[in-house]
Amino acid sequence: MTRPGNDLTAGAAERLTERMVGGEDEAQAVTRARGGDTEAFRFLVERHSRGVFRLAFRMTGNEHDAEDVVQETFLKAYRKLSAFEERAQFGSWVHRIAANCAYDLLRARVRHDDRLDRTEGPDGDRTMTVPADDPSPERLVAGGEVRRRLRATLARMSALERSAFTLRHVEGMSIAEISRALDLDASAAKQSVFRAVRKLRQALGEQARWGITT
Amino acid sequence: MSHLTDEELVLHHFGEAEDPAAVAHLSECAACRAALEALRGDLEAVPVPEPPERGADYGAQVWARLQPHLDAAPVIPVEQARAGRQKMRRVWAPIGLAASLVLAFLLGRHWPHEAPSPVSPAARERILLVAVGDHLERSEMLLVELVNAGADGQPVDISAQQQYAEELVGANRLYRQTVVRAGEPGMASLLDELERLLVEVAHRPSSMSPSDLADIRSRIESRGLLFRVRVIETQVREKEKETTKTAAGTHVS
Repeated sequence: MTRPGNDLTAGAAERLTERMVGGEDEAQAVTRARGGDTEAFRFLVERHSRGVFRLAFRMTGNEHDAEDVVQETFLKAYRKLSAFEERAQFGSWVHRIAANCAYDLLRARVRHDDRLDRTEGPDGDRTMTVPADDPSPERLVAGGEVRRRLRATLARMSALERSAFTLRHVEGMSIAEISRALDLDASAAKQSVFRAVRKLRQALGEQARWGITT
Repeated sequence: MSHLTDEELVLHHFGEAEDPAAVAHLSECAACRAALEALRGDLEAVPVPEPPERGADYGAQVWARLQPHLDAAPVIPVEQARAGRQKMRRVWAPIGLAASLVLAFLLGRHWPHEAPSPVSPAARERILLVAVGDHLERSEMLLVELVNAGADGQPVDISAQQQYAEELVGANRLYRQTVVRAGEPGMASLLDELERLLVEVAHRPSSMSPSDLADIRSRIESRGLLFRVRVIETQVREKEKETTKTAAGTHVS
């Protein structure tokens, strides 16, 4: 579980560790990769694959999709190496690309998965709905129901809300970083996080009406 | 000061509170501190998907999958790219024609009033999957070229790419009509978007300024078009393998 406030989330801690360990090697590898050295790029891929996979999985919630995101992320990074500012951290940069790829995939999944119902959200961002199963009161009180409800709420969110919330709550990205990763202005990123939190709390409020606590 | 709003509480929880008055208020107001605590408790209940473990060689596996695709990705010097395009033009033109013939055949068989087809529905599906998979692969190559073009900030002559785009538009239209009839709305929607981009590329001036290229690149990237082409292409290839296996099983039995 992530820690609130100024404590480090798992994602932020991982990136900080990466900065501290072998930062010099990485900077040299980035310079060589920008010069067309594929072995140097291999070093970077092997070093950051796990972190990118973790982020992709947390955003998409699906192993197969996460693997697609990993591949697309490093392809994009390779193409954009010339645009990478060497003063920046390669890990943070590649995580932003991964977040953007996962967000694209979530949007594409909503558009194309005709097994899911689709509705238009108020901000024009499409939302996905999962099949509703109305449980009995007995089932509601069964263990894990609260988490199941919250997971369903996350699945019903728009791609933007889900992405922004996951990046903020789980990955520990700041609103400014999220807006850069998802190509949004800061206000849109912030509002998406607010909407996501409101929906999750509404889901918990429904649970409370059944007398269930976390 | 009045109590903090829900939004202010959320910002405070995430360590992004901006208003010093709100921060000061929180230290003095027990009700707001309780509200913040409640928010904290709610968010801690949100399940975090736990990624499945990856082996020690995961990075090497990713590299092995990635490396074959890097050949298409790097920024290629203009002269080298031009020579490559001339070669590709010679290869692609007959492929485009062949694809059109395959599709014309398939479309013919989809008309409801035609005589009974000598080709089984399963075989027809396999032909369609192979043809669409190849089409998406060629489209992907073109999109990659456009995304990478003009990295040096100079105007670029895209007449070769425009010719490919024109060839792809014709085939794309046939594939789109076919997948609509086959009841594949997701793929039809992707082909529809792809077609609009191909038409636009084909009809732009051949000499593209850096800002024109940035515009095209932005259209490809903002809609995740290249990524979606790859995803659908992978799905098509997987389905193609499945139908081939099923057909082989049927022949054996």
